Amino acid sequence: MNRLEAVIEKEKEISYSQRDKDLFRSHILILIHQEQESKKFIRKLCLALFLAVGTLSLLFSQINEIANDFTVGLSDAITGDVLTTVVFSYGLLFALLALLKKPDFIFN
Amino acid sequence: METDEELVKRTLGGETDCYGVLVQRHADYLFGLGMRFTAGNREFAEDISQQSFLRAYKYLKSFNTKKKFRQWLTGIAVNCYKDLSHKESQYLSLEVIDEPSYTPDLGGNTGFFELIKPLAEDERTIFTLRYVYEYQIDEIAEVVGLKPGTVKSKISRALEKLR
Repeated sequence: MNRLEAVIEKEKEISYSQRDKDLFRSHILILIHQEQESKKFIRKLCLALFLAVGTLSLLFSQINEIANDFTVGLSDAITGDVLTTVVFSYGLLFALLALLKKPDFIFN
Repeated sequence: METDEELVKRTLGGETDCYGVLVQRHADYLFGLGMRFTAGNREFAEDISQQSFLRAYKYLKSFNTKKKFRQWLTGIAVNCYKDLSHKESQYLSLEVIDEPSYTPDLGGNTGFFELIKPLAEDERTIFTLRYVYEYQIDEIAEVVGLKPGTVKSKISRALEKLR
């Protein structure tokens, strides 16, 4: 038991030092920043995919109607609901793209 | 000088650099803890230290600022030690080699490292926390997530092995 106590007492007196503490700190902070940026990127990617799918489905929902109108008569196609939908879709797309360019507004 | 708890609050408020101060402040402590848990394996100890700081940052929101940051960090280090020793077989191969993997100029107590080698993973951590860091049984129980009675019995078992 005395030997055990002696070894423990000796160990208590020893202090260990992390090598290159400044470098270690910087390394930890860099890893944290990388992790945060990676998370932000994934969120942005998911949002972009969601928006792309949403916008495309909105546009393609009218594709049959546009195609029919084109076959029936081009002049009728540039009027009414189709034109409104196209303006709305592109307007929405540009608005969302503008928002994507301001990630701080969305993520912070 | 700002307390750990104040730095945690500032970090949570978005000042990530404040976490750097915490890392600087506790780096030696966590490294020492890792050295003792791993019986002098420097690389393993550094990995434990690094993983502990990263995990602590991830779960910083769950830290109760009424408690001691260092004690909370110790709990994380214990879990990292367990996880890493299970995952990383490289450390096992290092232990198999009959050479000291620590740097001698550290002044490490090889007697202590030899002493704790026969102990199982959880016995090592509990024994080290109790006798080197002089944690109370209740504190150890909180850190390692066991009941105080279980901690006592593990200490008794460890002492029996070492006698």
